[in-house]
Amino acid sequence: MNIFAGCDVGSLTAKAVIMKNNRIIGSSIIKSKPRPKDSADAAFHEALSDAGVSEDEIKYCIGTGYGREKIEFVDEVVSEITCHGKGARWMLPTAETVIDIGGQDCKTMKIDKDGNVGRFSANDKCASGTGRFLEVMAKVLNVGIDELGRLSQKAKDPITLASTCTVWAQADVIKYINSGVPIEDIGAGINSAMAARVAILVNAVKPEGDIFMTGGVAKNVGVVSTLEKLIGKRIKRARKADPQIAGAIGAALLSMEKVNGKMAA
Amino acid sequence: MKIFNDAATQVQCESITQWKKEGKPVVGYTCSYAPAEIFYAADILPVRLRGIETEGMEVADTYFGPFICSFPKCILQLAGKGKFSFLDGAIITPGCDGMRRLDECWRKAGEDFDGIVPDYFYYFDVPHKSENHGMAWYIEEVKELIKSLENHFNVSITNEKLKTAIKVFNKGRRILKEIEDLRGKDDVVVSGTDVFAATVAGTVIPRDEYTKELKKWATALKKRKTSLSKEKKRVMLVGSVSDEIDLFQLIENTDKAIIVGENLCFGIRYQGNEISEDGDPLESLAAHYLGASVCPRMFGKYKERLKILKDRIDHTKAEGVIMQNIRFCDLHGAENALFERDLEAIGIPCLRVEREYGPHIDAGRMKLRINAFLERIDAKSDQKSTEPLSVSA
Repeated sequence: MNIFAGCDVGSLTAKAVIMKNNRIIGSSIIKSKPRPKDSADAAFHEALSDAGVSEDEIKYCIGTGYGREKIEFVDEVVSEITCHGKGARWMLPTAETVIDIGGQDCKTMKIDKDGNVGRFSANDKCASGTGRFLEVMAKVLNVGIDELGRLSQKAKDPITLASTCTVWAQADVIKYINSGVPIEDIGAGINSAMAARVAILVNAVKPEGDIFMTGGVAKNVGVVSTLEKLIGKRIKRARKADPQIAGAIGAALLSMEKVNGKMAA
Repeated sequence: MKIFNDAATQVQCESITQWKKEGKPVVGYTCSYAPAEIFYAADILPVRLRGIETEGMEVADTYFGPFICSFPKCILQLAGKGKFSFLDGAIITPGCDGMRRLDECWRKAGEDFDGIVPDYFYYFDVPHKSENHGMAWYIEEVKELIKSLENHFNVSITNEKLKTAIKVFNKGRRILKEIEDLRGKDDVVVSGTDVFAATVAGTVIPRDEYTKELKKWATALKKRKTSLSKEKKRVMLVGSVSDEIDLFQLIENTDKAIIVGENLCFGIRYQGNEISEDGDPLESLAAHYLGASVCPRMFGKYKERLKILKDRIDHTKAEGVIMQNIRFCDLHGAENALFERDLEAIGIPCLRVEREYGPHIDAGRMKLRINAFLERIDAKSDQKSTEPLSVSA
């Protein structure tokens, strides 16, 4: 049976994808648990049951994400940068530049027609420009992470955050809440601050061709639309799958290539 | 190899302790611009100051502030913690602005922490140009340094002694070069980690002992048959000052890469070149330490540095270059960006990472980037045999 899996254990969420004949037959996204091994097990089993297949039927599985080395059931581990490149090209076959914003990392990469990564740049060890930044801010605003993105569309007079440091920005946001600024304007300011931070990395690799975005933050319309303005280019959407599972898709595709050779994509 | 590993991973290694037991002085220096031959000629052990073994930053942060390279900060931290109590002297060189400030910060910290400033504490200035006036200035500085050492340590540093010292150091330089040649072969028999440890050890161990040990090791290496480079990506490591064996291990422990060369100021960059044994020894020292310097602090030498790097990439058959810079290191941060631009343009994959120095390094973050980079080289070499990249890489 030609069934392959990819498991992406991130710092905020763990994702698993089961693929057969180049199609997704099962997937999962769960909130990460304290131990990466537990996150991987839970995400993997949820995806297996979504696909209706058993673990024995999986021919090859690649693990990725920051917790990749702690996953016990995988055959191999590959960095998430490589996996996101692969997954992005599968989701948008014309993609040449990929922006991936994960829980604790933000990366921009150039990819070739097979989804192989060329030049890439990644953020420093600061949390600004990562999913964690948005999570912290959503908590302060007392809104869901999904809702935060939509606030931008309703904003009339977005605030400007004085600092992109997560800790300082949080203090700034609390100050705005206390002074009665509408939550939409604060949310929009947060999304813009995030986009500004990401734009620096995007410009560092000189984006070319179709740009695609992966990771959970790709679902935040506020960040995406501001980012488009800042880099002066459109970021393409793809409905083929949830951009948050792009890393796991890439891992599953690489599993397929590992066994079948490079014919998958 | 054990003696090299011990010296490369300990601030005060056995050789230093032994030297002190003989009642002889030890002088620390901060930069590759300080000619170690001068100390040898005075029977003083020159020890290049390092920041390994740092466990906190409370002393350094007090005097330096947060926006500065963590390497000089780690040196000050160790000084504040008494780890350099074996020093009879220290020489600070303006290798960069952060290093220059170490002079002020160390002196200031000495007002608060008793006994952390060695009795002999000297600021050795170095010009940023190596044209005639720069060379003349540097020679003047060396003369001043010699005079000052002679007065303080009651020694005599003659031209004859300097000539002998140059000859002794050249022996080691020649052996390092031989070892370096082994790294350019198709089958590399020595890890980058081991070569770097042996090179760093040369900045710490007394020279005669070092040369003897290095010769033994090189002879053994030449007999080695087992290749360590099979199935591995050949990479070079360049950028900010580094004496961190852990950084080399971090890359080589991926089991996917071998470091076939480096362009770091603790490495072979300086120690591999011979110094002229003819003529005036001071002029020979100046020609080597200032004239042949390929440090980005030197003005107007980028093209020369790029050529040296390209030659080394060719020589070592490196498939990619890892460029690191310590945060706030403007010299290497800016130069790495230029190197990346120029090397990528001729198809050499580059990885540029910013990091903290030594014990503060964020290993997980570094590892992700290194792994992704090695996978990139892998995909590139796969493709070379089939078809060209559709995206300019």
